[in-house]
Amino acid sequence: MAPKIEYYCPCLSESPHPPPPNRPSSSYSFHPLHNLFFCEECDAVRCNRCVSVEVSGYYCPNCLFEVPSASVRAEKNRCARNCFLCPNCRNTLTVVPSDPPEDVDSRMSPIVSTTLGEPPFFLYCNHCRWDSAEVGITFEKPTGLAAQLQKFEDSAPEALEFERLKEHFEPFLRASSSSSALPSASSHHVHTNPITAAASSALARDIPGVGKYNPLSRSRVGREKGAHRQEYPDYKSRVEVGTALSGEADVEFLRHLETVSQVAALEQRWTNSWVSPLSASDLKPLRIPLQSKKSKRCPSCRHILIKPEQKAQSVRFKIKLVAANYLPAIAVTLPHAQAAIEMLKRTSKTTSAAAQAEEQQAAGALIAGHSYSFHLAFTNPLYDPIQVRLAKAIAPAQTAEGDEAAERARRSTFQIQLPSAAFPVGAFAEAWEYDDEDEAMFLDDDGMEVVEARGKKGKDGRGKTRSVGIVEKRANVTIVSGEVLIPKEARGDVKFNMLVSYTYRSDDPEPSEEAQTGTPSRSHGANKGPEMKNFSFYTVVDLGSIMYREEPKLTADL
Amino acid sequence: MPPIRDKFTIHSKAVVCQDVELKGDITIGAGKSSLHLRTIVHPKATIFAIAGPIVIGSGCIIEEGAIIVNRRKEVMRIGDDNLFEIGCRVESPTVGNCNTICTRARVHHTLRISSYCVVGAGVLVVPTEDEMLDEYTVIYGPAAERRVWSGRGKVQEMDLRRKHAEYLREMLPKFNRLRRGDGA
Ligand SMILES: [Zn+2]
Ligand SMILES: [Zn+2]
Ligand SMILES: [Zn+2]
Ligand SMILES: [Zn+2]
Repeated sequence: MAPKIEYYCPCLSESPHPPPPNRPSSSYSFHPLHNLFFCEECDAVRCNRCVSVEVSGYYCPNCLFEVPSASVRAEKNRCARNCFLCPNCRNTLTVVPSDPPEDVDSRMSPIVSTTLGEPPFFLYCNHCRWDSAEVGITFEKPTGLAAQLQKFEDSAPEALEFERLKEHFEPFLRASSSSSALPSASSHHVHTNPITAAASSALARDIPGVGKYNPLSRSRVGREKGAHRQEYPDYKSRVEVGTALSGEADVEFLRHLETVSQVAALEQRWTNSWVSPLSASDLKPLRIPLQSKKSKRCPSCRHILIKPEQKAQSVRFKIKLVAANYLPAIAVTLPHAQAAIEMLKRTSKTTSAAAQAEEQQAAGALIAGHSYSFHLAFTNPLYDPIQVRLAKAIAPAQTAEGDEAAERARRSTFQIQLPSAAFPVGAFAEAWEYDDEDEAMFLDDDGMEVVEARGKKGKDGRGKTRSVGIVEKRANVTIVSGEVLIPKEARGDVKFNMLVSYTYRSDDPEPSEEAQTGTPSRSHGANKGPEMKNFSFYTVVDLGSIMYREEPKLTADL
Repeated sequence: MPPIRDKFTIHSKAVVCQDVELKGDITIGAGKSSLHLRTIVHPKATIFAIAGPIVIGSGCIIEEGAIIVNRRKEVMRIGDDNLFEIGCRVESPTVGNCNTICTRARVHHTLRISSYCVVGAGVLVVPTEDEMLDEYTVIYGPAAERRVWSGRGKVQEMDLRRKHAEYLREMLPKFNRLRRGDGA
């Protein structure tokens, strides 16, 4: 596995420090940079776990029709135009006319001009060649098919029962919504759009017989519920659910089974809203389920972080505050692994991909008892240069019992060396704006040795070149090198938390003028004087797992 | 194995592009209904008669990168109106009429194909024993599932295929040099 880096969002923990990376649960707190947002108001990273999501529109993924939220419910969340899924393979179906009556020798005849649109029409799957005539569904006209199919759906006993249930509870719901608008809910509706408001009020409604969790007014709601129960008569179901009758039919069907494919597979029944037939040959075409475009808000200040354009065809965003525009992107590589892979590419004769992957993994392995250097490439998204400082995050001291245990722990954990001095990363610019001379300034012959003075360069006692510091600096990318020392006893993954702090020029005016806090904004701005701001974030760096050569005395030691 | 003797017989109405790889004893466009229909072989298609000869009927379309191989001694017969889509590979000893071998599908020499069959895109068909595919069999999906097509829509499909071939007959010679048979 290639080494990787993920960014921390502190929403899951009380402390601003990340959990130790070796805990399995820590993975929920770290995210790839491209999944994160950045709230300018709060000056903080936000992830998909903490943002609040709201629907900004529904559309059909096939015909890209934007469905008004009012009709979404009536059309049962599925496309009401001519979009259908093949019940057999879930490809989209097309409407085709029937074949013209076959001549005696039609195959041999020259090009027949197809008589246009001969009814009956049917739905046809281009992939598996299922057609709706197989289940007795044909149409006289090639339009308005969904309405015709929805008629089938709506006349299903389950659907009818659901309608009756809705009718039964309708007067109660109307009464309860008019009498008591929940006071606690009102504060939430300040920023919501009508779609979300409708959805959340529907969810917040008090349903008779279903307890609503409300710790403050629990007893009150309970009393109300009791009161309503007396006002409304019990509902009498009109369909027998799960009768023994259908069970027997199923047994009969299974008894005469010849191939497994006669039974509808789980994937074939999955997308159906109501009870779906057990037999594959009875499956009906499905109207395509709608999808929604969503916008996301910061959980604490409620500002929008990302908002798509309304149009279903558009893939652009009206608002897009993604972390990648604010935080430097970091890429981790292991030079020794890359060199080994390059060698393998040139020399290897194995052709199978699996064998190659295995070889590459072996080549890039981190072997206990060795030290390796790793590269961190920082890419600056800001229009101003930044100064970056790295630190290995020390886990909140886990008090070791006794010196011996501490010593043992020290011996069996890897040591990380990071450049201790701050290093610059150039400003982002369009590719043609960079000067050629900027490049390769810090590059030397073998690309490994450190020339940059501020790095912790130089040689250790034995004259071996140490490589902690800047390796390369070009355009808006700076590559620094760190080192990992793996003791013989070390096991597990080389995974550590790294604190990245960077200073950037703030465009904001004096903080006293407005309540705005500093934010690493990408926007240009003409103002009085550059003011330097600092922003820090945590990451987890995963270099891979430690391999060790089988040594019997070691295993005895453990 | 004796060296492969090249012998190409191309019907005068067939459209075979110059940039096609042919090897062995190959006959193209010899169908019964060749009066009206032509077989089209796109550039970069490959037809290898390694062991026995290959005879391709009329009205077939063999697209770019398609590979047709005969590994057996017997004649490999491909009927009429078959479509071999881009990058497919077919080694079936017999192929009937009106079949579709979709993009990058691969059919092993143990499978014989009757008529009106479809081998879906990317499907790999490698029966361990010799097998004859029934008419209207559709093989599709990553698990090479099979089902039987009702045949509804086949007239329109064949009509479309003929229009397809007719269009190619007009357009391909404008941009490609054509190959002629040995005899012609
Ligand atoms: Zn979060
Ligand atoms: Zn649609
Ligand atoms: Zn299908
Ligand atoms: Zn915020």
